[in-house]
Amino acid sequence: MGWSKFGIFLGGVLFGTAGIRILSSRDAKKVYTHCTAAALRAKDEIVDKATVLKENCEDIYEGAKQINEERAARDREAEIAESAEKA
Amino acid sequence: MKAVIKHEISGRIRVHFKRSRFSFREADTLQYYLQSFPCIKKAEVYERTADAVVFFSGNRDEIIKILGDYDPERCDVPESFYESSSRELNATYFERIVVSIVWHYGKRLFLPMPVRIVLTCLNAVRYLWRGLKTVRSKKLKVELLDAAAIGASILVKDYATASSVMFLLGIGDTLEDWTHKKCTSDLARQMSLNIRRVWRTDGKNEVQVDADQIETGDFVVVRMGNIIPFDGVVKKGDALINQASMTGEAIPVRKAEGGSVFAGTVVEEGEITIRVTAVSGSGKYDKIVRMIEESEKLKSALESRAEGLADRLVPYTLAGAALTLLLSRNIMKAVSVLMVDFSCALKLAMPLSVLSAIREAGDYGITVKGGKFLEAVSEADVLVFDKTGTLTKAEPTVKDVISFNGEDKEELLREAACLEEHFPHSIANAVVKAALDKGLTHEELHTKVEYVVAHGISSSINGSRALIGSWHFIFEDEDVSIPEGKKELFDALPDEYSHLYYAKDGMLAAVILIEDPIREDARRVIRSLRERGIRHIVMMTGDSERTAKRIASEVGVDEYYAEVLPEDKAGFVEERKKTGSKVIMIGDGINDSPALSAADAGIAVDDGAEIARQIADITIGAEDLSRIVILKDLSDSLMKRIRSHYRTIVWFNSGLILFGLLGILPPSLSALLHNASTIALGLKSTTKLLERKQDR
Repeated sequence: MGWSKFGIFLGGVLFGTAGIRILSSRDAKKVYTHCTAAALRAKDEIVDKATVLKENCEDIYEGAKQINEERAARDREAEIAESAEKA
Repeated sequence: MKAVIKHEISGRIRVHFKRSRFSFREADTLQYYLQSFPCIKKAEVYERTADAVVFFSGNRDEIIKILGDYDPERCDVPESFYESSSRELNATYFERIVVSIVWHYGKRLFLPMPVRIVLTCLNAVRYLWRGLKTVRSKKLKVELLDAAAIGASILVKDYATASSVMFLLGIGDTLEDWTHKKCTSDLARQMSLNIRRVWRTDGKNEVQVDADQIETGDFVVVRMGNIIPFDGVVKKGDALINQASMTGEAIPVRKAEGGSVFAGTVVEEGEITIRVTAVSGSGKYDKIVRMIEESEKLKSALESRAEGLADRLVPYTLAGAALTLLLSRNIMKAVSVLMVDFSCALKLAMPLSVLSAIREAGDYGITVKGGKFLEAVSEADVLVFDKTGTLTKAEPTVKDVISFNGEDKEELLREAACLEEHFPHSIANAVVKAALDKGLTHEELHTKVEYVVAHGISSSINGSRALIGSWHFIFEDEDVSIPEGKKELFDALPDEYSHLYYAKDGMLAAVILIEDPIREDARRVIRSLRERGIRHIVMMTGDSERTAKRIASEVGVDEYYAEVLPEDKAGFVEERKKTGSKVIMIGDGINDSPALSAADAGIAVDDGAEIARQIADITIGAEDLSRIVILKDLSDSLMKRIRSHYRTIVWFNSGLILFGLLGILPPSLSALLHNASTIALGLKSTTKLLERKQDR
């Protein structure tokens, strides 16, 4: 009906006048600022977690390397002991 | 500061300091503190979590104590350490990468489809624009291919693929940017921390002091071959200054009284006294970084052939896609061909390989200024050595002084040292050290000192014209004669030593015998290099024929040239290049600079003249020659890796395309495999090339 079209038109007018004023007012700006601050905090949290993840992965990696080195050393010793026996 | 152990294995401890986080400066302070202990092999500080990881050898309790004793208030860290720290840079890029990964995958979870589509299209505009720009330059470059791939996926409404391609490209760009900046920063750090001692003057006397002790307003003398250590205004003298490091101009500029000079530029000829206007630590590091970023040399140097490979394949991929479209009339299939673009894999793997090789070289104390030079080292078949300081130890010593004019040996040595101390040549250093060892100090007995490159020094002492230098300089150029009755003495001079001739008023006053011992590993290194494919090893020296011959045979070079002038060295290099060989030149003195620039890869030894180090493409620590062998191995491994990656990328992706065409693989799967292999290969490119576990 004609009413819905009129409603949309009215909505547009309201938006163009009062709406924009509200969205760009100082109070709104404060809201935006707080939201952005929260987003930045969220970003910091995320990057912090990523750092923790990285550190733990490095711990695991270094630990694993060491296990393998020790194994290799033990194997070598066993080899040397064997060949010493044979000689 | 209190700390808690978070993780421990033998030789490695990770601790958490009881703070929520460190600022960049605090983290750097801790890093400096930890690195100052010899038992700590490597230390890493994480500013975001206030954690530190310490790799150590030795007693665990010692390390615990070191960590517990840390007190930032009591640490004395030079300002230059903070300035040249790359911590903030790394933090910024790490953050960028994490955010982009989280955003890309988070988008799918949180944002509704229509919003994602809009974002994807907006993002695509950027890449499409980049692609269109390259069309204008009439060359088929990788960016065009990317734009085609992205554009095509959007056309077929495959937004997910478009978005992943953009994501990968974005990560690739960020990584490349990061490694680029890091390379620049590492280079700049090495170049800015190398100025140690300078000559301060108060008008009459000169005193050598540490660069750290100079303040604004002090007067500093800078002579030929030396880097100007601080910004300043010329108070006395005039010189030709090479400002390439500031402005990129290759032609030296004349500066006289009242002219301003800049830190980091080199005095090519002449001598000046400057009044310091800005001391080190105030922006010198930043200046060098800017210089490197702007210098054309670095840009083209990094463009080694390997990195250009990506662009070469663009036409083939485009042709393949077009062909597919024609043959099958199926846009989806054509798009799947485009998705599997060789170029993005190459563009990620190649630069990463090169830059990672440069960093690995850095671990061995070798500074490489560009990928092109590693290529040159690998392909080289001619190697030219400068004798003094390279094949021989950097510290020749004075064996004896033979007096020819009846004066006391020690007096003559004192005078010689007085003249020689101003110049950056290893033989000059030997004379100075010998005098110092004998306790022969002097006040400046001479007047203006002139240095004739590769020949000698002329000045006057107490009124007599004093000359010191090579045979060529003293006898041929300056026409000095041997005093009456001393001819036999002259002929009897022992051959095994290098001779330095000292003359006063046209008559030979003394001959200083210099022992220039060959490095122990010289023979072995030359043999190793020959085994690795360098077919012609040449030695060039300004020394006399006799000494050169002996050294050449002892060390095992293929050819040698004696009594060589600097221009000849460069000429020889050019000649060999013309016959198609790739030439490496190794030297350390001012007289090597022309040859170093002419060579395909110029290598300077760390301890040598600063101008040589500036002009050289690669610098090596002076401790032992085996670094050269390591450099060759590294370059060869890099080339092998590049060739192998190239083959892998081409074959694997061709296979993907083929299977896609045959219908065996759906396009989304081939895109996934392509992306996965790209990332995997990219990661592999950053691994170490050499297996050695050498402690530096």
